[in-house]
Amino acid sequence: MQKIPLNLAKPGMVLSKPVPRQDGIVVVAAGTEITEGLLAKLESMDVETIVVEGNPVNMDGVMAGSSYTTRLGRLDHLFRKFPDDAWMGRVKEMFRGYFTIKAASGQAAAQGETQPKSGE
Amino acid sequence: MEEDLKTERKGQLLAIKDLPTLPTVLDEVSKLVARPESTTEQVARLISMDQVLSAKVLKMVNSPIYGFPGRISSISHALMLLGFNVIRGIIVSTSVFEVMTKNMVGLWEHSIATALASSTIARACGLRDPDEYSVAGLLHDLGKVVATVQLPELKIAIESLVKEKDLTYLAAEKELLGFGHDRINAWLATHWKLPPNIKEGMDHHHSPQTAQLYPEMAAVVHLADFLARLYEFGSGGDDNVPFVQPDAFKILKIKPKDLEAICDTLGERFVEVSDLKFT
Repeated sequence: MQKIPLNLAKPGMVLSKPVPRQDGIVVVAAGTEITEGLLAKLESMDVETIVVEGNPVNMDGVMAGSSYTTRLGRLDHLFRKFPDDAWMGRVKEMFRGYFTIKAASGQAAAQGETQPKSGE
Repeated sequence: MEEDLKTERKGQLLAIKDLPTLPTVLDEVSKLVARPESTTEQVARLISMDQVLSAKVLKMVNSPIYGFPGRISSISHALMLLGFNVIRGIIVSTSVFEVMTKNMVGLWEHSIATALASSTIARACGLRDPDEYSVAGLLHDLGKVVATVQLPELKIAIESLVKEKDLTYLAAEKELLGFGHDRINAWLATHWKLPPNIKEGMDHHHSPQTAQLYPEMAAVVHLADFLARLYEFGSGGDDNVPFVQPDAFKILKIKPKDLEAICDTLGERFVEVSDLKFT
């Protein structure tokens, strides 16, 4: 599942979450396959982002260095020269905490906008 | 014997005939600036005579790295807002990176990221003239570029040593040359008559604790280099974060925790410059 801006959506992708109108009322159900017609309709409704199945869009280039989940995964590797240094260990753990919070708040924002809490 | 070798290497690195040439206009501009009766207008007119150079300078000063994105329309405007030191640093960096080969794009991006992080840290610490810090960040790995241009076979040796032994680029330089790019930076800064604060940012970015004259400059670039590597924006030649000197925080009177607020700003600014290509 991936949240993408509408302008990166392509026919053939499948919605993994329903798309609500500005007032919260769902207009397209989850599981719907995207068509040119649907894209035009969503555009006219000022929908900015949708959530689709799989991971069809490579967002690395778009997000540059700011993908916090990637940062978390790289942390131990980047600090590998200092396994026994207490000070560098503290610096690393500080950033682990920072990136964890950032990654979590990014995900919460992605879910909160498209659907009320669903126990995920 | 070892000293002889170092001297010989230094000679090779600084062999003037092969050093990336700085635009001749920069020499004349420096002379003009040294005279107290010169005006900004005269300096601007002189730089503007080199149209290719002016276009490059304007592109850089209008990038999000500096404080006035998209709002500087002329060289004289740039000089008034950013000062001659910043403009001179930009001219030096564009001239040196011009000789850069394709496989150094990563280093250009790393330099951009370090420049951006430097001014962000300087602003957060309330330091004066934050754009001068960003120029020092932009130039902090110049020694790597020059070493590559002067001794192409050296770069290949460094890169394979980094891979084989999992060394940092700096450690590999020291093993092969006896000194690192920070020393080369010092020679270059002297050779090109860069201002002393920018010189200290360049040659002490790995050792801010021993910076004598402008410790804040060295500490800012030191932490900026760390952050650029932590976010892996571009590449400094190896995938490690450098050891963070605890003294850098003392010098800047901040706590490690303060880096979080700096990163909040920086995360967004990184996205803004992600398409700032070198051309």
